[in-house]
This record gives sequence, C-alpha cells and structure tokens, in this order.
Amino acid sequence: MQRETRIANVVLGALSALALLFLSLPLSTPVRSFKAGAGYLLDPLAYHGEAGYRRVAGLPQRIRQLLQADIANESLRAELRRGEWLATTVSTLSLENERLRGALALKAPAGRSPAWVNVMERDPIHWYRSLVVDAGSDRGVSLNDPVLGPRDGRLVAVGRVVDVRPYTSTVLLLTDELSAAAAYLSSGTLEGLVQGQDGPRLRMNYLNAEARLSEGDSVYTSPTSATFPSGILIGRVARVNPRDPFLTFQSVEVTPVADASSYQELIILRARAPEGEAKPSLYTPPSIPVVVSSTAAAVAVSTTTAARPRRRKAAAVSTQTETEAEPAAAPVEPVDPEEAQ
Amino acid sequence: MIGFLRGVALFIGAMFLQWWWNTHFAYWGAAPQFLLVLTILIAARRGAVLGMLAGFGWGLYLDVARAELFGASALTLTLAAYFVGVARRQIDLRAPGPLAATTFLFTWASFIGLGLLGLTFTKSFEWSGWIAILVTPFLNAATVTVAALAWDARRDR
Repeated sequence: MQRETRIANVVLGALSALALLFLSLPLSTPVRSFKAGAGYLLDPLAYHGEAGYRRVAGLPQRIRQLLQADIANESLRAELRRGEWLATTVSTLSLENERLRGALALKAPAGRSPAWVNVMERDPIHWYRSLVVDAGSDRGVSLNDPVLGPRDGRLVAVGRVVDVRPYTSTVLLLTDELSAAAAYLSSGTLEGLVQGQDGPRLRMNYLNAEARLSEGDSVYTSPTSATFPSGILIGRVARVNPRDPFLTFQSVEVTPVADASSYQELIILRARAPEGEAKPSLYTPPSIPVVVSSTAAAVAVSTTTAARPRRRKAAAVSTQTETEAEPAAAPVEPVDPEEAQ
Repeated sequence: MIGFLRGVALFIGAMFLQWWWNTHFAYWGAAPQFLLVLTILIAARRGAVLGMLAGFGWGLYLDVARAELFGASALTLTLAAYFVGVARRQIDLRAPGPLAATTFLFTWASFIGLGLLGLTFTKSFEWSGWIAILVTPFLNAATVTVAALAWDARRDR
C-alpha cells in the first residue's frame, strides 16, 4: 500500500506539473507543439467518427431505397414481360387483321350464306384428307356445304362438309381420294371430273380424247357440280398424262391452288343462315337442268364422292342431302374464266 | 497483451462515445461525462495510478477541443482519479451506491475546479451553465452505476 501510494503521488506530481505547465504557458512553442500534436492524433477520431456516423445514419434510408428499387425493378420486369406479351399479341393480331382484311374484300357467290370459320384441327396421319372447323349445326352448317378459301384475293375451292356436329364440322378436302368435283378447263371449256389422290395433286379424268391439252390451264368448278358454285378456281394443270390407247378419255394432273395446310380461316357457303343472321339473297334457279332424284345417286357419286364400299352409306346420305339442299343451292352464274383469273 | 489491447480499445472507444453523445444527444449542454465517469470507475476498481494515466490522456483529448485552458481537463481528471484512489481506502467504492455518490460529488468538484482554473489562468470563471451543472451530476451518477454493474457482471462471468 505504501508503495502504491508513493507511486500514485509521484504520478500525480508529474501529471499535475505537466498540466500546470500547459496551463501556464499556453502560447509557448513546446506547449503549442504538443497541443498541435495531440490535436493531430485525436482530431481524426471526431472527423472520421462524424463521417462514419453519417454513413451509418444513412444506412436505413439506403436500405429502404434499395428495397424500393428492388420492388420497382420487379414491377418493371413484370411490366416488361406484359409489354413483350402485348407486342407479340399485337403482332399476331396485325397479321390476322391483314389476313382478314384481304378475306373481307372477297365476294362470296350469291344465293348462299357465307360463314367464316376457323380451322380447328388437322389429321396428321391423313393430311390431305380432311380438317375440322369450329362451326356446326349451331351456325347453320349442313352436309355437303361447299368450303372455299381465300387465295390471292379470290375464293378457291377447298372441299365440302361431310360431317356436321353441334359445334364443329368435318371438311373433306378436294385432295382426299374420295373427293370429286365436276370441273372444266379454261382453255376450251372441256369438262371432266377432278378427283383427289390422297396427295398434293389432283387428277382430272374424262377429258375429251381428241382435245389438245396444255399445261398451265386453269381448272374451274363446273356448273354441273352438285356441290360447288360454278367458276370457282380449283387449280392449274401441272402435267398432261400420256394418252392411253385403251381409254376413251384423257387425264391431267392438277395442282390445287388451295393449300389446305396453310388455311386458318375458311368460308362455308351455307344453304341457309341460322335464325338471327342476315338471310341469304333470294334463290335463283340454276341455269342447268336439276338432277332428278332417280338418277341423283349416280350423278352425285360421280361429282362429289367416289364410290367406295366403306363410304357407300355416307355417299348415299350425302346424295340425299345434296338433292334436298338443291333448291337453296347457289345460283349458277356463268363466270368468264379469263375474267376470274 | 490482450489486456493491453483491450485497454487501448476502451481508451479510444470512450473518447468516441463521448464525442458521439455530445454531438448528437446533448440537450442544453447536459450530457453524461463518460470520460470522467470511467476515470472514477477505473480509479475505484484498479487503483489511482491507472486512473490518473487514463484520466490525463482523456483530459488532453478534451482540452484539444478547447480554445483556452489547455491542460485544465487533464489536471481535473488526474486529480479526480487521485482522490478517488485515496477515498477507496476509506469507502467501499465497489458498491454502486457509494460509487454513484462519489461520482456525483466529483462531478460538481470538477465543474468548480475547471471554473477556478479558468479564474486563475484566464481571469474568468469557466461557467458551464445551470442546466449542465444541475443535471450532469445525476447523469454521471446513473452512468457510473450502469458501468459498474456491467463491469462486475463481466468480471463475474
């Protein structure tokens, strides 16, 4: 204890003397130097402490700003995604609008009630045979209604309705091997029968054996067709088949202008519009003799569907429907093929 | 070595705490005098020599910011540590109550001492203001109580 007291007294004396020296000689060079040195050592504490304090004090605000920025970022990302989706939608609608604009400029044959329908489904295994559209009996579609499609500013033949359900219908394409339609060539008004081959091309049979045929001729539906209005473009002659001495007629290969795989909208020429829709124009008697019912089966088979055992029943139904629907069929208006082109 | 580093950290941390509190939490000049409180606490727990050394250094820090009377705070804190060292032989300063009372008295004593030093060396009494003189002793007493309890709790652990 004594030793500690002595040390304490010595330290007190030394420190007090030093402090009194500072107090007594505040303007002397050594004291000022000491004060400057002490200030140099201790002032950074306050200086950097203030800077650090400001940094720490601003931390909550910066964190809040960071969170707000993150929220805004998420919101903007979502908005950007919506914008991209909207741009895609607008682009799609623009293309559709352009396509429909072109389709609206088309004139459907008079006497029928045209209905625009969307293609719903194609059979991938039987690509050239049929497709399903989103209109059925609810929209007045009936069996054997002709189906047309827009192509280069005009309507071309695509097929006919073979199955009608409440809200959908099946369209048998012209390229199906069971399809057939009476047609004529633009070069000489030669009539024949266009038949599908389950491939991209059609075959036109029963052309006059003596006629001179040339590639590139346009093929139109004939006034004798029980399904299509006359003058509807079917395709163009792609190849003239060599004459077969055992046959009494010639045949050509026809490339259809209607590429059924590219259509999204089609026109069904309905015999009658359903309730609530504008009624079709008055019926005009066709300029060709109406097929009598006793021979209807044979004629209809030859002009609409090929006679196959598995389709015989359907063909019979089809024929009956065609015969019944005949009074409402499209008026046959002679169309100048050259004008139609 | 660890004890020395801990002492240096306490020395610098106390100065930073004093500056920080005086800058941002002092109202009408009333704020706890952490450096005085720690000087008293060190002198009461570790002896007068260590308290005087710490008090002298902290006093110089306080004096650096002062335009006049360089060395006044150093002398005041040195004397405070010395007298606390003397007092702890007579009073049980390990208990919070006597320590708080001692701090309370030494706060007033430091005010008076600074005033007298000013009167002696600059011919003007160093007046800190009524609010500081009346409130600060209570704040110092409360602070030293909390610091002593924390000190004891840490030592017991």
